[in-house]
Amino acid sequence: MKLMIDETRCKGCNLCTLVCPYKIFQEGTAPNRRGVVVPVLDRPERCTNCRLQKLYGRVLCGVCQMICPDQAIRWVDEKPYNPEKVVIEY
Amino acid sequence: MTSEQQGGAVRGFQDWLRQDRLPHIYCTGCGNGTVINCTLNAVNGMGWTPENTVFVSGIGCSSRAPGYIVTDSLHTTHGRAIPFATGVKLSRPDLHVVVFTGDGDLAAIGGNHFIHACRRNIDLTVVCMNNFIYGMTGGQGSPCTPLGAISTTTPYGCNEPPFDLAALAVAAGANHVSRWTSYHVKELTKAIRDGLETPGFSLIEAVVQCPTGYGRKNKLREAGAMVTWMRDHAVLMQRWRRMQEEGLPLPPGAFPVGEFVRRNLPATGVPK
Amino acid sequence: MQGNTACAEGALAAGCRFFGGYPITPSTEIAELMARKMPKIGGAFIQMEDEIASIASVIGASWTGVRAMTATSGPGFSLMMENLGYAIMTETPCVVVDVQRGGPSTGQPTRASQGDMMQCRFGSHGDMSIIAVSPASVQEMYELTAKAFNLADRYRVPTFVMADEIIGHMRERIAIPDAVEIVPRRPLEKGALPFAAGEDGVPGFPAFGHGYGVHVTGLTHDERGYPSSTDPHVHERLVSRLVDKIEGARREMADFTVTNPDAEVVFISYGAPVRSVEQTIHDMDDERVGHLRLRVVWPFPDFALATFKSARVFLMPELNLGQMAREAARHTNVPVVPVPEIGGELHRPDRLIALAEGYL
Repeated sequence: MKLMIDETRCKGCNLCTLVCPYKIFQEGTAPNRRGVVVPVLDRPERCTNCRLQKLYGRVLCGVCQMICPDQAIRWVDEKPYNPEKVVIEY
Repeated sequence: MTSEQQGGAVRGFQDWLRQDRLPHIYCTGCGNGTVINCTLNAVNGMGWTPENTVFVSGIGCSSRAPGYIVTDSLHTTHGRAIPFATGVKLSRPDLHVVVFTGDGDLAAIGGNHFIHACRRNIDLTVVCMNNFIYGMTGGQGSPCTPLGAISTTTPYGCNEPPFDLAALAVAAGANHVSRWTSYHVKELTKAIRDGLETPGFSLIEAVVQCPTGYGRKNKLREAGAMVTWMRDHAVLMQRWRRMQEEGLPLPPGAFPVGEFVRRNLPATGVPK
Repeated sequence: MQGNTACAEGALAAGCRFFGGYPITPSTEIAELMARKMPKIGGAFIQMEDEIASIASVIGASWTGVRAMTATSGPGFSLMMENLGYAIMTETPCVVVDVQRGGPSTGQPTRASQGDMMQCRFGSHGDMSIIAVSPASVQEMYELTAKAFNLADRYRVPTFVMADEIIGHMRERIAIPDAVEIVPRRPLEKGALPFAAGEDGVPGFPAFGHGYGVHVTGLTHDERGYPSSTDPHVHERLVSRLVDKIEGARREMADFTVTNPDAEVVFISYGAPVRSVEQTIHDMDDERVGHLRLRVVWPFPDFALATFKSARVFLMPELNLGQMAREAARHTNVPVVPVPEIGGELHRPDRLIALAEGYL
């Protein structure tokens, strides 16, 4: 599953940044079209929910979603990774 | 969790929100948004449906919440949410009634109704979002504004001691009282769930941040700053009681969180 | 039976199943009877902590689809004003019985007056319109209270039974009908907007617990019930509809009796003074003296004044300093003379006879 911040709702309060136990959020740098500085995700694969929700069938941590005052955080299904061929040139 | 994650079969807290009315009017970093999430998670976890749940609220930022929830809701006059909820509950005891209110709505203008509801033990769950201020009207002092705090009507520092809402409820004879903050989201959800399950009057006081009304004037301008303040000054009930017993000095600004009382008194307005 | 008892019995016969009240002289007997009878018929009675909570609980109960009422007097009536404004704004049907006593303030708790007639119409803030009925006998306490529930449900507005201490505390024999006509609320059709005007400006009623998901708010709201307090058009549409649904239906809900329509000197009365005027008419037995007796007082039936084509003067005996006389005077060029009697005693028929003769 992939964590998504809904940019039409986020107001840039950065509470998710404060509470995440795995510190996957970081304060954003540039304002988006609405003028809000949305947090950016830093190595989101460390989020237990993203990795294990499908396996356990329930929300695992979810503190960011619960503390977000604007209900802007959602998890969505992610398309499986496409294996890519990497050519190494000497 | 959202229903889209499980094929739409199970209801998540997002399904209780009126999506056509979001984004809501709350300021950046408002703790009320968090408490709404926790309450809806708790209500959803009880297995209730929007058809048999009613939200009642007074006036203020906290009380705008039912406007964003899909159930039947009653957004009433200032301070009077509890008697309206009493009327609803007594006529239809089978409906689940949850009251959203704020510190001024509950303790100032609604003080009389608050203590009588505690005494009467009417089967309601009251979620009080205590942000120490009158937020909607621009940041005036409320009966819960701490001593010395700045607000628009206490520009020289508040000179009246504040109410301790949880202690007030305990003294008025309430059946079940607990307090958490908007930092402790998991515990708050669990406490609200306990309150919903307990028949009789339950008060869950949620200490929340108001960065715009309270925080800006009291050096807690960022939402995160006040949440950090709450995290650092909340003392778990066990530790608080132990410190009191041992006679240790309580740190200034600290407040206990947890379940204050659970009395199991006979309740009014429970379906027979 | 006593007037207050008849009022409560009429309410129960009309299907009232919730009473939230607070004791106040002279309406306490209504609450006491409700306390005894409500639990036996499966209704709910609660004595709230003050009148504000009483009317709040009545409105909350009404939203679950139950007929609800409260009873109070002057000081409690003043306290209820904010929540009555809320009931008008949210179009909540409910019945409020005001057994009027001497005012202002604590006044004369055990004496009658009609001092709240303007307050029931204009007491809350903002523009609004309400329905008020005025019983003049114990029989009418029974009938008009029952009728008030039908009016409240029909027009989705708080309806006031403006009694007074004389009618409330007197004892008379009454005939209790086998059944009272009950016209229930029209439920909202599923899928319709909860606050969109029906064919007569009155929306269907979306009771709680039936899956309507209605958001009820005292803020200015649009047809979906969502707050929309800054849009001037929404506000104008809403408040105009709230006023027009009552004022536009004044002919339908009018209830008055006319005696001697060709009279030159006409008494207009409602409530307890009706008894004095009827005695006066009976004693004078003169076709030149007529009587317009109002049962539905608000909305004021202005067209009723026009039935007296030869009237030269209207005399209005009231137990106040001329509140409804002001309203009547607005609607006619014929002089309206208030005949006030404050202090709690009814007008004496011999004085009314002398007054009428002075104008003949």
